[in-house]
Amino acid sequence: MSADGQPLEALQGWMMNALVFPGMTPRDEVEQVVAHSARLNGDECLAIYQRSYYLRILKCMREQFPALCHALGEELFTDFAREYLRAHPPESYTLYDLGRRFPGYLAETRPDRDAAAAHRESWIDFMIDLATFERQVFVMFDAPGHEGKPFAGAGVADNQLRLQPCFALGAYQFPVAWYYHEVRKGNDPQFPPHETSFVALVRKDYLTRTLLLSQSHYIFLTALAESGSVEHAISAVARQLAVPPDDVRQSWWAQDGIRQRWIKAGFFICAGSGQASVSGC
Amino acid sequence: MADAHRGIETTDPPKLGLGLGLRNVHFDHILSEWPKVDWFEAISENFMDSGGRPRHVIRQVAERYPVVLHGVSLSIGSSDPLNFSYLGKLKVLAEEVKPVWISDHLCWTGVLGMNSHDLLPLPLTEETLKHVIERVRVVQDFLERPLIVENPSSYLTFAQSTITEPDFLRRLSDETGCGLLLDVNNVYVSCFNAGTDPAAYIEAFACERVAQMHLAGHQHCGTHIIDTHDQPVRADVWELYRLAWRQTNGAATLLEWDGNIPSFAECHAEVLKAKRYMHGRFDPGRVTMPAGEGPEAVSNPVDFLVPAVMGSTVLEEA
Ligand SMILES: [Fe+2]
Repeated sequence: MSADGQPLEALQGWMMNALVFPGMTPRDEVEQVVAHSARLNGDECLAIYQRSYYLRILKCMREQFPALCHALGEELFTDFAREYLRAHPPESYTLYDLGRRFPGYLAETRPDRDAAAAHRESWIDFMIDLATFERQVFVMFDAPGHEGKPFAGAGVADNQLRLQPCFALGAYQFPVAWYYHEVRKGNDPQFPPHETSFVALVRKDYLTRTLLLSQSHYIFLTALAESGSVEHAISAVARQLAVPPDDVRQSWWAQDGIRQRWIKAGFFICAGSGQASVSGC
Repeated sequence: MADAHRGIETTDPPKLGLGLGLRNVHFDHILSEWPKVDWFEAISENFMDSGGRPRHVIRQVAERYPVVLHGVSLSIGSSDPLNFSYLGKLKVLAEEVKPVWISDHLCWTGVLGMNSHDLLPLPLTEETLKHVIERVRVVQDFLERPLIVENPSSYLTFAQSTITEPDFLRRLSDETGCGLLLDVNNVYVSCFNAGTDPAAYIEAFACERVAQMHLAGHQHCGTHIIDTHDQPVRADVWELYRLAWRQTNGAATLLEWDGNIPSFAECHAEVLKAKRYMHGRFDPGRVTMPAGEGPEAVSNPVDFLVPAVMGSTVLEEA
C-alpha cells in the first residue's frame, strides 16, 4: 500500500506502523510518501523518527523500573522492554501508563510458563515480582493521597479508622522491597533467594514508605482493606493462623503495638474525613 | 464565521517576559527560594493526572507566578477522535492554576489508539488544514479559551504537502482565532533539515498572532539537526531570535531545557541572555547553517516527564 496522496488517516496509519515495526516498510514506498530533505532521502528522514521512537520510550521504561534494570543489566532489560513495547505499543497520552502492562507481559511470555511451579526458573519469578513491586511504587508517587487533610490520631475509635487512599499491600515470593532499597542506596545486591515477603506502601507528606510486614500483619491489613472493619481483620487473623482472637487484639492494642505504629506511619484516616465535614476525628 | 474565542488573549497577549519550564528537578529550589523569574510554563500532562506532589507544587507556583500550560498530547492533527477525557482533565487543571494561555503543537502524536509520545509531522494540505481547523474549533469551544498552536521541529516533509508551514499556521489562526507559539529553535531545526531559509520562515510567519516564543538547544548530527532541548541555545538561533523578537513585538519568551537539565540558576542565566538580542539590527548573514557534525541524538525527549520516584521512597520496618 502506498500512502502517497492518501487520506490523512491512511498516511498516519502507515507512519505509525513504520514507527512500531521499523524495517517492515519497503524503501521505495517510503520514497513515494516522504520527500527527500536537503541532505537525506525520504527513507533516512523517516529513520530519524523510527530511531527516536524506541530510544525515547525505552529510556522512560528504564526510569520507571530502575531496580529491575539494575538486576538485569541495561542491555537485557532494554531487550525485554523493546519486545514488550512492540507487543503493546503505548496507548495512553500519559507516560505514566507506559509500564502498566509490563509485569503482566513478563508473566505471560515467560518461556517456562507451562512448566509446573516447582520447575520454573527462579530468576524469572524474581523479575516478575520486582517489576510488580516497582510498578506499585511508581503508581504511589502520583496517586491521589490524603496530604493536606487530617490523618487519624491515637484517640480515634476502631470503628472510625479507615485505610488512607494512597496505600497498597503486596505479597511476593522474594524480598523485592529489600532489593529495591539496596539498589536505591547505590549497592549492587545479589539476586536474593526465594523468601516470601509482605509489604505495605503508604504515602504521607509526598514520601512513599515501604513497610515490611509479617504474615499476620498482611492478613490483618488485607481483611481491613476488604471489610473496612478492625473487628473483621482481627477475626481473619485468628481464623487463618489458628490463634485466639484475644491474642490478636492484644498485639493490635499493645503499647507500641501495631495500632499505634500504623497510626503514626499514616495508614489511617477517619471515616468521612475525605469529605468536607469531619466528625469524631 | 465569527469566532467566539477571538479574544484579547490572542490579539493582544500579555508580554510575560523571560520564563522557564517548570521541571521536577527544580521543584525543591523553586519552593525554597522563590526565584525572581518572570513566569513558568508547565507541561500539562505532567500535572493534569497528578494526585501527588507535582499537583501540590504547581498550585503553589501558580499563586506566585504567571503560569502557562503547554501540552504535548492534544494530537490536534490526528485522524483519531479527539480525546475528551484528556481535554476534561486539562480543563480542570486550567480551572485550578488559571494559566495565562494553553498551548500545544501542530502535529499528531498517534493514531489507531496508539501513542508514539512524539510530535509527528502532518502533510500540509488543504485536507489537513480543514481537519485541523475543525478540531481547533472544537477544542476552543470545550476549553472556552483560545488555543495557542506551536510550530514543531520536523525531520521529514511529505511529498503530498502543498502549503508552507507559516501559511498553514496563518490560515489556521485566521479561521479559528487561535494564537501562535513561535519556537525559534524549531524554525532553525526544521529549516536546516528541509534546506529552507529560517529568516524567510519568520518573515512569512503571522508574527502578529504570536503569544509566545520558545528557545532551546539542539544537536547537530551532520546531515540533519535534532531538537534535543539538552544544551544551551546555539548562536545561530539567538541571531534568529533577534528577528523574531522584533517581528513579534517582544512576545513572551521561554527556554525549554529538558535533557541534562542543569541547576535552576544556570537555566535562568541562559534565558536571560535573550536580553542581548532584543536590540540591534537583524543581519541574516549572521544566521549560518554550517554542515556541522555530531553524534545521533533522540528528538523530543520526554523522559524528564518521568519522575525519579526512587528518591522519594524509604524503607521502614513496621
Ligand atoms: Fe517548543
